[in-house]
Amino acid sequence: MTEQELILQTIMNSLIASSFTATFAVGLVLIFGIMQIINFAHGELYMVGAFATWYLYSENGVPFFAAIGLAILLTAAIGFVMERGLFRPMRGNLFGGLIVSVGMLFILQTLAVYLFGQGLMKNITPYFKESWHAFGIESVTVSHSRLLVFAVAAFILAAFWFFLRRTKLGWAMRACAQNPEAAALQGISISKISILAMVISAAMAGGGGAVMAQLVRITPQMGHSVIVTALIVMIVGGVGSLEGALIASVAYSFFHTFVTTYIGGEVATILGLVLMLVVLIIKPTGIMGERESV
Amino acid sequence: MKSKFSRRQVLAGTGGAAAGLAALSLSPTKIFAGEKTVKIGFLAALTGDAAGWGLPGLYGVEIWAEQVNAAGGIEMGGDKYKVEVISYDDEFDAIKATIGAKKLLFEDEVSIILMLGVTPVLAVKDFMTRNKMLVTTLVPTDISADAPYLFAPVEVHPFYNVTAVDWISRNMPHIKTAAIATQNDELGLTSLATYRAAFEVAGIEVIEENLFGFEVTDFAPVVSKLIASNPDLITWDTAYPDYVNLLTEQAFLQGYKGQFVNCTLDQYDHILAKTSKEFLEGFLWQFPDLDDPVMQGGGTHFDNAAAFYQTYAERYPGAWTAVSWEYAAALEMWKIAVGKADSFDPPKVSEALRSLSPVPHAFGDAEWWGEDFFGVNSAALGKWPVVQMQNGKAVIVEMGDVRAWVDKHLDVLKKHFAAVGL
Repeated sequence: MTEQELILQTIMNSLIASSFTATFAVGLVLIFGIMQIINFAHGELYMVGAFATWYLYSENGVPFFAAIGLAILLTAAIGFVMERGLFRPMRGNLFGGLIVSVGMLFILQTLAVYLFGQGLMKNITPYFKESWHAFGIESVTVSHSRLLVFAVAAFILAAFWFFLRRTKLGWAMRACAQNPEAAALQGISISKISILAMVISAAMAGGGGAVMAQLVRITPQMGHSVIVTALIVMIVGGVGSLEGALIASVAYSFFHTFVTTYIGGEVATILGLVLMLVVLIIKPTGIMGERESV
Repeated sequence: MKSKFSRRQVLAGTGGAAAGLAALSLSPTKIFAGEKTVKIGFLAALTGDAAGWGLPGLYGVEIWAEQVNAAGGIEMGGDKYKVEVISYDDEFDAIKATIGAKKLLFEDEVSIILMLGVTPVLAVKDFMTRNKMLVTTLVPTDISADAPYLFAPVEVHPFYNVTAVDWISRNMPHIKTAAIATQNDELGLTSLATYRAAFEVAGIEVIEENLFGFEVTDFAPVVSKLIASNPDLITWDTAYPDYVNLLTEQAFLQGYKGQFVNCTLDQYDHILAKTSKEFLEGFLWQFPDLDDPVMQGGGTHFDNAAAFYQTYAERYPGAWTAVSWEYAAALEMWKIAVGKADSFDPPKVSEALRSLSPVPHAFGDAEWWGEDFFGVNSAALGKWPVVQMQNGKAVIVEMGDVRAWVDKHLDVLKKHFAAVGL
């Protein structure tokens, strides 16, 4: 492999990482935008998606894409329950929301341990075992499993963008995110929008977990590392900004992947946090965040 | 306040919880009232990153205990004692290991404690020494002159890694360059130093190294860089079973076609399913399946190795890892020392264990070694197999002589250990 091919391979790796990070982070930002709650259990919804896919597909022989669909439905249902049972009473209460989401995090983790144990690796025999040689170059490869991640993420993000920009419900959601009181005065039900937002957000996390299940270690704690990345992305992008989250996801994933490739995995994590600090020093509101005036 | 639960629901819930607790407390090593018992402590990771080197070992210990008990137990002082295994999950964590050590010592009053190594062992080493408890580790870098009851009777990680590289130098002379990816911890770094030494002796140049931490979830970039260096050989060094699984799968997906040498290839059936028989053909590592013909007698010291493997494979399909037999092998040696000491008293058994010469190691006769490296001869060093994947099955291609290699190249080994700060 030549140096140019390695760069191209790293770009491909970065694109896949960006697509997943963006899908995951956008869901987190959406909940913060609508409910002013940082859902720390977002990583555990990702974990549930992965566990559900492993359990249905590998353990019970459910067809792969049906397993993914059922995993998304399951996480969406958990999202519904979370909104009605936990987040609705805490809407607008940043601290209270944080506490209940951390509680939910532990509940979901403990449930995963209780139901499936956490001893040996949960193996998924890949649905796809082939790779795509990018642009016909033999040494630059992207596995079909990763292409699936990219395709699903791109579809979800495009559908979500279309929903927000082209549908009345999407406009209502944006209105709630921008000014809940004004939206309510216009007759928009904040509760209905909150449920919808939570279901979409949970489905995004669960869908991410479902398609990533083939590529990562499935453990009850697997949500930790992704929630840390999503929080970095959320802060760098500007808290509450969906566009900011998208831009930050791409920037952070490219940065992290290139540093992992050329320097090392440990350094990449440290430098990722340094990158966040640098952005915040230069622009304390994040890339797309807006300054609040008193 | 009115309860939200009915009396029936509370009873059902309580009954379910009680049934669950009862099920959890069931042990496969059944002991009946009136029987004399000796307790064995198992203190290793049953959950978490290192579970692959703990839980499968506990399975092996339980099978060993069953077999010993079925044969009447362990003889001591003219009586037969049934073996009872008591396990504690240290999660590969220093604090949990300390709690577990105290429980096993003071509450359970075990006669020996089996541990994995490094962080948990180092955390409890002084405590165990003060209480004169016999402890075994799979990592000889844990042993030291101030811990006379701590032994590495089975595994001499990572020194045995030299045997596969030595085999490569004699059988694959076309291999001139190597790339290494390793987890950045005590296990990975000691193994890194050993591989560097082995490659230097073998005349193989290390052209790429990548240290990764435990927060890495996507191994694609790590593997991309290694493959880009166009090595003749790749090693994942010593990495947790899950990491080896994902790294190897990545190499397959990214089209790597060269040779592998590794410390472990745990649960290789799963890796075969993720890659292909052709891709893994020739993969070299250090841990055999015990049904290998070489392990059936011929100077080895693991009784009924094939039967042990078959029982294990039937009871825990797909769970066979490097450690599945190792803790049991340590107990086999302990049983011999108990017979020699005619006592379960840990200091007396330790003394008897140290006096064994040759040491009846699972892979053949060994000798206590380590004074040159750790200040005390408490690690059993002798032969260690080189294992190769052949047609989807682990096959021992040679019993390498670790002791001879270390005696000859100790300076090179010490130089590379010093280079990684050990």
